[in-house]
Amino acid sequence: MHGRAHFRFGAAVVDSCAFCSFRMLSKRASVSLIAGTGSLQLPLSLLKTAQGHPMLVELKNGETYNGHLVNCDTWMNIHLREVICTSKDGDRFWRMPECYIRGNTIKYLRVPDEVIDKVQEETVKRPDRRPQIGGRGRSRGRGDDSAGRTGGRGGRGYQEEGGDRGGRGAARGTSRVSGRGGGGRGGSRGRG
Amino acid sequence: MASDIGLDSLIDQTISVITNDGRNIVGVLRGFDQATNLILDECHERVYSTKAGVEQLVLGLYIIRGDNIGVVGELDEELDSNLNLSSLCAHPLKPVVH
Repeated sequence: MHGRAHFRFGAAVVDSCAFCSFRMLSKRASVSLIAGTGSLQLPLSLLKTAQGHPMLVELKNGETYNGHLVNCDTWMNIHLREVICTSKDGDRFWRMPECYIRGNTIKYLRVPDEVIDKVQEETVKRPDRRPQIGGRGRSRGRGDDSAGRTGGRGGRGYQEEGGDRGGRGAARGTSRVSGRGGGGRGGSRGRG
Repeated sequence: MASDIGLDSLIDQTISVITNDGRNIVGVLRGFDQATNLILDECHERVYSTKAGVEQLVLGLYIIRGDNIGVVGELDEELDSNLNLSSLCAHPLKPVVH
């Protein structure tokens, strides 16, 4: 929403907001960027950039896993290769070719220092990419709209849209009502 | 505003984190998210003991999962640099018991 709103305006605004649209994952992030602190990272983005790098993962139970990050997701679930697992007391070790760790069992991750520089590079690069994608999408959408309007079908288009929406709304409404009615009937049947 | 009470104001500042397992980690906050996962850069752990002064372990770049965070505090760097950590003794913190 945030990004889209900006894309409606001129190119200059798109440029200046490319950054916050990239950062739109967090409203706070864009706020702090506007404030000029400028280098806020999201922990999960950092983790994503650490793909292929060696890392140490400590679990809540104290076990540590050393390995190369293959992949991770938004829940912090991680997939490691060439892993050495160390027991909590650090006296037992297990080697395994790969392992998958559920995100919520993680206490912390230690990642190589250079990864943070990589994220910063990507932050600089990405805004160039985003608006293009966003811009294309938007212009396509607009193109359809404007085509409709210039073709003299604008009015109809609008009406159709309105009609569509109304229709859908009504359909939803009736389905809901019937659903509820059904439920009610069911209930009364049950009672009876 | 909600952003005034977030961690925004601590970005790129040195912070002190107490984790649920009773560790004290000091480092520069580079990022956070809605789950309070933190990115701590150039961080070190301060290990307290009653026998010897505070031991500082260099940790590097850490992502600390929000689940494991007890307290996040701003660190006054001037005040901190005046501390004589090597002669400072304290009981280590106990882990949080759920």
